[in-house]
Amino acid sequence: MNLGKIHKDVAVVGAGMTLFSRRLQETGKEMSWQAAQMALDQAGLTLDDIDAVIMGSAPDAFDGVHKKGDWLIDGAGGVNKPYMRVYTGGGTAVFAPIAGWWHVASGMFERVLVVCEEKMSSCQPHAQSAFAHIWDPILDRPLKPNLVWIFAMEMQRYMHTYNVRYEDIALVAVKNKRNAVGHPCAQLADPDITLEDVINSEPMALPVRRLDISPPSDGAAALVLVSEDTAYELTNEPVWMDGVGWCIDSTMWTNRDLAFPKFVARAARMAYEMAGIKNPREEIDIAEPYDPFDYKELQHLEALGLADPGEAAIMTREGKTQRDGELPVCPSGGLLGVGNPIAATLGIKVGELFWQLSGQAGARQVPGDPAVGVAQAWGDLMQFSSVIVMRRRP
Amino acid sequence: MTFSEKFQKTTDVKHWLGDMEVDHFLYTAGIAGEAFFVALRDKGVILGTRCELCGITYVPPRIYCEHCFAELNEYTDVGLRGRVRSFTIARLGKDGNELKKPEIFAVIDFGSGTTGLLHKLGEVTPETVKVGLDVEAVLKPKSQRGGHITDIEYFRPVG
Ligand SMILES: [Zn+2]
Repeated sequence: MNLGKIHKDVAVVGAGMTLFSRRLQETGKEMSWQAAQMALDQAGLTLDDIDAVIMGSAPDAFDGVHKKGDWLIDGAGGVNKPYMRVYTGGGTAVFAPIAGWWHVASGMFERVLVVCEEKMSSCQPHAQSAFAHIWDPILDRPLKPNLVWIFAMEMQRYMHTYNVRYEDIALVAVKNKRNAVGHPCAQLADPDITLEDVINSEPMALPVRRLDISPPSDGAAALVLVSEDTAYELTNEPVWMDGVGWCIDSTMWTNRDLAFPKFVARAARMAYEMAGIKNPREEIDIAEPYDPFDYKELQHLEALGLADPGEAAIMTREGKTQRDGELPVCPSGGLLGVGNPIAATLGIKVGELFWQLSGQAGARQVPGDPAVGVAQAWGDLMQFSSVIVMRRRP
Repeated sequence: MTFSEKFQKTTDVKHWLGDMEVDHFLYTAGIAGEAFFVALRDKGVILGTRCELCGITYVPPRIYCEHCFAELNEYTDVGLRGRVRSFTIARLGKDGNELKKPEIFAVIDFGSGTTGLLHKLGEVTPETVKVGLDVEAVLKPKSQRGGHITDIEYFRPVG
């Protein structure tokens, strides 16, 4: 990493997202347009002002359209512009804005629109059937595996290695589904959910139960990124992308450390170094780690250096990760509460930090005037992570 | 040495069969698509939306202009008559065998400044089809229309 090669500081000046829902009538293009238009409106820009467009979207097999980055282009505002699709599975939510960041940081483009979309309801009977193809066709697929197996075995190993109690993990699902009550786009917000509801929910592949998992969803989200040259012409509250990092582990999930995601720690180290963060526990005010499963929020907090291994579960039990706690985690409601339209979770990770750090999060606003946040996503074959450190400047 | 041999059949090596487990895909037509298909089915008309700023009529309609992002929410009946922008005469099927009868497919414009619609031509021969041919939509009887692009059976020459 050569920090001297970064030409421009990059700020988020607008964000938008659609409702997240099990099935939306809107096409992927229509959702993309809705989110992109919201982000442009917030930035006070029109499509004409945009120099380049980044589209983030997960497997073509979800929408059921081959080369869907190209297919979505007109809804994303990419017609007749420099345009590229990036895809790192679930990591796309935070990786697409990183791609947007380097377009601007390089000095090549002044204003970049980042749009992420997913329409998982197209895939029948369930998006799970498309996920079946991430398994090795010769070694794994004859066993008829289910994707949840990987998560269940990671969770089992995590609980075993750090002596973590299931009840503490389940509290993450309770917290996030309650946090999502303040989110206008939420799919699974539940103000009354209890620990017992999660513990007694349907066993999927134990220890994973139904309420430990975020729901598949349709949705889109978008950001407008600009350089330091014009950020303050557009808003008094730009939120700066001060550090970005990403990293990927081995293809074979059986070769990885299942208790501690080292690739997340490496991605975080890169982003922290760029942002000049020396002590994340002291310096980070809000975290939006990727939470498709409740235990993943904990693993990710630990790999982000915001808790020691196994400690995130205790912090959760003690209420430290609540919206008004010491370290608010997933104040958006996360994937567990707002929904999981893979790439479009951009809106509840980087989008949420933008709204929180610029004081626009409304009912979800974290108290105490937060200034520094970290957003993280996780994906590809469960071995990729992307991290962004965001800051409001005094 | 597998590297040096040329396999005549891929089944000469040990292999595993697989398929995509996705049973099917379920697509929605979206906000604009729904309006288009309901109008075609119930009223036998072809709808579009127009961006005045860019001077483009989208057929089928869209809720946004892809060039300026304007919201387009007024649907207009563009009529059943159009003009052939380009065409192809398909003679071989997907299996590589000759079709019993050549099929003619065309991109059809509905006046100047419209986007094109892909459809089939009928009541015209490979000898008489040409770019610029004026055509009209032949619709299925109302009782047989289900709100599909095939509610238009084909376009045929007019005049
Ligand atoms: Zn226009």
